[in-house]
Amino acid sequence: MRIYISQLRQELTVMIRNGEQLLLLVVIPVALLVFFSQTDFLPTGNENKIDFLLPGILSLAVISTAMVSLGIATGFERSYGVLRRLGTTPLGTRRLVAAKISAICIIEIAQLVILTVVGLLLGWNPSRINLLQVLVFIILGTACFAGIGLTLAGRLRAEMNLAAQNGLYLVFLLLGGIFVASDELPSTLSKVSSFSPSSLFSGLLRDSFNNTVVLADAVALSCWAIATCTIAVVSFRWSD
Amino acid sequence: MSAKSCELRTVMVMNISTKSHEVAISVRNLVVDYKNLRAVDNISFEAKAGEVTVVIGPNGAGKTSTMEVCSGVRAATSGVVSVLGLDPKKDRGKVNSQIGVMLQDGGVYPSARVHEITRHYCNLYDNRTNADELLESVDLTRQKKTNWRKLSGGEKQRLSLALALAAKPRIAFLDEPTSGVDIFGRDLIRNIVRQLAADGCAVIMATHELDEAQRVADHVLMFQSGQLLANAPMTELQNETGQRQTLEDIFRNLAEKSKSQGTQ
Repeated sequence: MRIYISQLRQELTVMIRNGEQLLLLVVIPVALLVFFSQTDFLPTGNENKIDFLLPGILSLAVISTAMVSLGIATGFERSYGVLRRLGTTPLGTRRLVAAKISAICIIEIAQLVILTVVGLLLGWNPSRINLLQVLVFIILGTACFAGIGLTLAGRLRAEMNLAAQNGLYLVFLLLGGIFVASDELPSTLSKVSSFSPSSLFSGLLRDSFNNTVVLADAVALSCWAIATCTIAVVSFRWSD
Repeated sequence: MSAKSCELRTVMVMNISTKSHEVAISVRNLVVDYKNLRAVDNISFEAKAGEVTVVIGPNGAGKTSTMEVCSGVRAATSGVVSVLGLDPKKDRGKVNSQIGVMLQDGGVYPSARVHEITRHYCNLYDNRTNADELLESVDLTRQKKTNWRKLSGGEKQRLSLALALAAKPRIAFLDEPTSGVDIFGRDLIRNIVRQLAADGCAVIMATHELDEAQRVADHVLMFQSGQLLANAPMTELQNETGQRQTLEDIFRNLAEKSKSQGTQ
């Protein structure tokens, strides 16, 4: 337990010390929530803007943490030889992965609390939320996006990985049903978007905020999670 | 291979079997391949507790690959490697708790602070050292709040050495420990290496700095093109080749003889 806690503390310390990480994990999601809830840029239809935005921004926060933050940090750790060196200690892969996942979960809990408080301040109505369902889909989404992040981090050089993670983040941001619902996109993009994990994830979170669920989407996201985690485990390299 | 270097090998094998020090690492017929390249070509040696075994040779000669296999970082293509009587890959957990590894490229989070990363590494071992004492031993107490990326080259090397010693290791694998280190830092690292051996640790030290190697070596492994040119106690090498010869002279002579034999 001492070893796991020490590694967890190290993961959190490194994550929090990086200014760009804090920007990605907290400042950007909160700024986007505040900005788009106060403007009329987004086609939210008759729905209350904050009710539409909050689950989307929450899914963006999970993607930021589980995919981009974890993926970029792991890619650079591999490049710097951090993982190779840790591999010569009694830490072991299981404790390393457990510490990384725990660090992500702690950050996501903080994001959930901060975004919920900001959402409430902006007029979000929490009466219809199914909190248990939200938590289940956040866990599923975390697995799915961590799998994508680690797959890229495990195969690409650190700089390529950085570019790929940010590029994919932008794609998910624009086409993933986060700010614009998939059915509002042009038809071709809409079809592509509806199968993307970000679209499925943000849709499921949005459903959970209204206490509903589309079972087929939940199954599809589960398949994504299993596939990405499997690919990450099979393809991952601990050193260049 | 020249007759003399063949003799050296024979002498060494006899000496190993007659020395009283415990064998910490035993390597038999080790081969390491990378795709189309044979990095280590059927080598055998032993390293003993209480001795400094220096590993020398040109870039790409197989030094780091051999150390990586012995420290469990890399799998051998073939051959038998025993570390403290264990398989460094299959028994990685048990081996890792008893070894300290100093990599060539640091392997530290750039934003990590000196004391923080040292304390973390100390926490990874049951038989751990006190982080403050460890930093004092490598003269980094004043830099304890400094980030890794802000340390000088020599300071990074000393911190990297400290992390390798966090386990109070029975075997220390040190890859280029004095590279980029100033004269005082070298003195300090040399003293630590000698003290480790005096305390019964088997020190395996790869280096390009042959004068430094000569000062600390009990035993020498000379690599070239993945093979061992020599595998002998330092005193045997000097007796065989003449006391006035430096390690650099000995290496040059053996390399040239090996090369000329290869071209014949």
